[in-house]
Amino acid sequence: MNRIVLLLRKDTLVLWRSPVLLGILIAYPLAIAILVGLVAGYASSKPRVALVDEDNLPATVVVGGKRFDVHHTIRQASRDVKLVRLSADSAEHQLRTGRVVAVVTVPPGFIASLKGMVKSPRLELQLARGTISSRVEQQVQALVYSLNRQLQRAYIEHNLRYVSLILKGGDSSFLGQPIDVLGIEKAEKLLDAMPDTPRNGQLRGFLHDARLALANTGDALRSTAHPIELVRAPVRGRTWILSAEVQAYALGLTITFLALMLAAGSLAAERDENVIGRLARGLVGLGHLIWAKIALAAGVALVLGLAISIAFGAVIEIGGITRGEPWRRLPLLVVGLLLAGACLGALGALLGALAREARSASLVAVLVVMPIVFLGLIPREVVPPAAWASDVLPFAHSVRFFSAALYDLDPWIDVLREGLWLVVLGAVFGGLARIEARRLLA
Amino acid sequence: MSSESPLLAARGVSRRFRRTTALHPVDVEVWDGEAVALVGPNGAGKSTLLSLLAGALEPSEGSIQRRKGVRVGWAPQRPAQYGRLSARENLELFARLEGEHDPAAAAERLLIEFGLPGKAKPSSELSVGNRQRLNLAIALLGDPEVLLLDEPTAALDPEQRRRLWDRATALREAGGALVFATQNMEEVERVADRVAALRDGRLVHIGSVEDYDRSLSDTLFA
Repeated sequence: MNRIVLLLRKDTLVLWRSPVLLGILIAYPLAIAILVGLVAGYASSKPRVALVDEDNLPATVVVGGKRFDVHHTIRQASRDVKLVRLSADSAEHQLRTGRVVAVVTVPPGFIASLKGMVKSPRLELQLARGTISSRVEQQVQALVYSLNRQLQRAYIEHNLRYVSLILKGGDSSFLGQPIDVLGIEKAEKLLDAMPDTPRNGQLRGFLHDARLALANTGDALRSTAHPIELVRAPVRGRTWILSAEVQAYALGLTITFLALMLAAGSLAAERDENVIGRLARGLVGLGHLIWAKIALAAGVALVLGLAISIAFGAVIEIGGITRGEPWRRLPLLVVGLLLAGACLGALGALLGALAREARSASLVAVLVVMPIVFLGLIPREVVPPAAWASDVLPFAHSVRFFSAALYDLDPWIDVLREGLWLVVLGAVFGGLARIEARRLLA
Repeated sequence: MSSESPLLAARGVSRRFRRTTALHPVDVEVWDGEAVALVGPNGAGKSTLLSLLAGALEPSEGSIQRRKGVRVGWAPQRPAQYGRLSARENLELFARLEGEHDPAAAAERLLIEFGLPGKAKPSSELSVGNRQRLNLAIALLGDPEVLLLDEPTAALDPEQRRRLWDRATALREAGGALVFATQNMEEVERVADRVAALRDGRLVHIGSVEDYDRSLSDTLFA
């Protein structure tokens, strides 16, 4: 044990004196956090979309008897995009240069079609080429959907006014001509004053049925306009989900990269420095050497993992985000960081023993990290063999451990299962590394 | 110290690296107070035999026997030390691993004896000669009775060579032994009691320096 501690101290000192490596160790988690932040920011950002008004949209427009504030309506409908009014030429130029991702053109005659309520007015959409075009298209569709909903409301209310006229009667206009409607209710009263004949009885029955049916027209029209309505349920239980998931992946990726590189590189470096023979002649057993590398990886994983978690926790606190548990779960996270770091350290030691030279070992570790991570990211339901392969590698288990530890309301079953996986995998990789370490003596 | 058994012995020891046989089975004994020189052309198997005697390599066949309680010091041909640690830190680390009672004092003693810089300069930045001195100093940690030195004087200046051989003489006079690999015949004649000559991984001669001079010295490197 004492010899493992001596080697661990030596490795820590060597690490401390390797400014480039130390810089990478500090910069890497920061880079990961920034990249994750950029991706998250991009996911929630509003793309810039040009609005070309070729119809000279008025400040207000009356549709179906309802007055619309055009600018306010557009602002309300465009919550997911940033609409900027541009001339056709400017929009074309900005689309070409990538300053806007789409151009929505209001063609001449749009308002006339809208007011006429006979045929649907059209908007024209031009998209930039690129990977986000489908997302922008969805967001512009959402904008049009939102506009349609507001117009539908106006149309329904307009139609309901005619229904009300039929029911209650009164003065109105139709196609510009004034009209005077008797209405069902007044017609029923007139019939009541007439003699009770079979013919009048039939008319009374019809008016009764018609009144009942027209009374439900409002709900019927609204349900026809929105056959299915999506209502968002309030979130319960798991709070802080986005940041916890982001944190779990940031931790998993950082630790996988660092633990593999450090363990692989530092074990192979013992051979590069020609020291392994000196150690192996009774000073330090090869098993102790492997343990020292595992301890190094676990220690670095713990320190960096905690630094990332504390940074996340501080952001949560400073941001005043309620219902997060950034501090209460830290002890459980510490266990996960140690287990994940040790398991990945064992795998790294195996790579180091196989590669034998520090440079090759580091390169192999870098090459191995990406497949390990990507295998862990593929959903089990999509490619089952990828999930099976990922099951025998530490990344996915580490991420699941961190996720459960960070935000599951009842994390114990997941934490125990994933912890056991990490222990078993670590033992297997460590055993293999011990067997392969004999190659370092050659 | 018993002299019924050798301090250190290789019994039918061989070593293969995959399909290549670096050393065919050899028998070598090292007795109290003697100095054994290993000679032979490059690739003859001298370093492999020294590594096997030191326990740094496991033999493919045969065994290495060490008299009970005998401590062995080993300085490989290429310095074996941590480049990011200073000479003092290297010495203190290996002193602790060797179980030295007072690692700091042992390191200080060897720094002075070998004229090594005590400053916190990484050993990778030392001169070739200083790195070799540090390599030899580490081999002396733990007060070994047997010293195994692989071409120890290759990068040393004359003064350091003299100091090294003085140290080796003191060790032998105290009942210890020295096994060293060298290409320098002058050193063999001056220091060694016996010569083990190797060629192509085979032991082709083991005996007195005089016998070696008479029978092999002209043909071994031919």
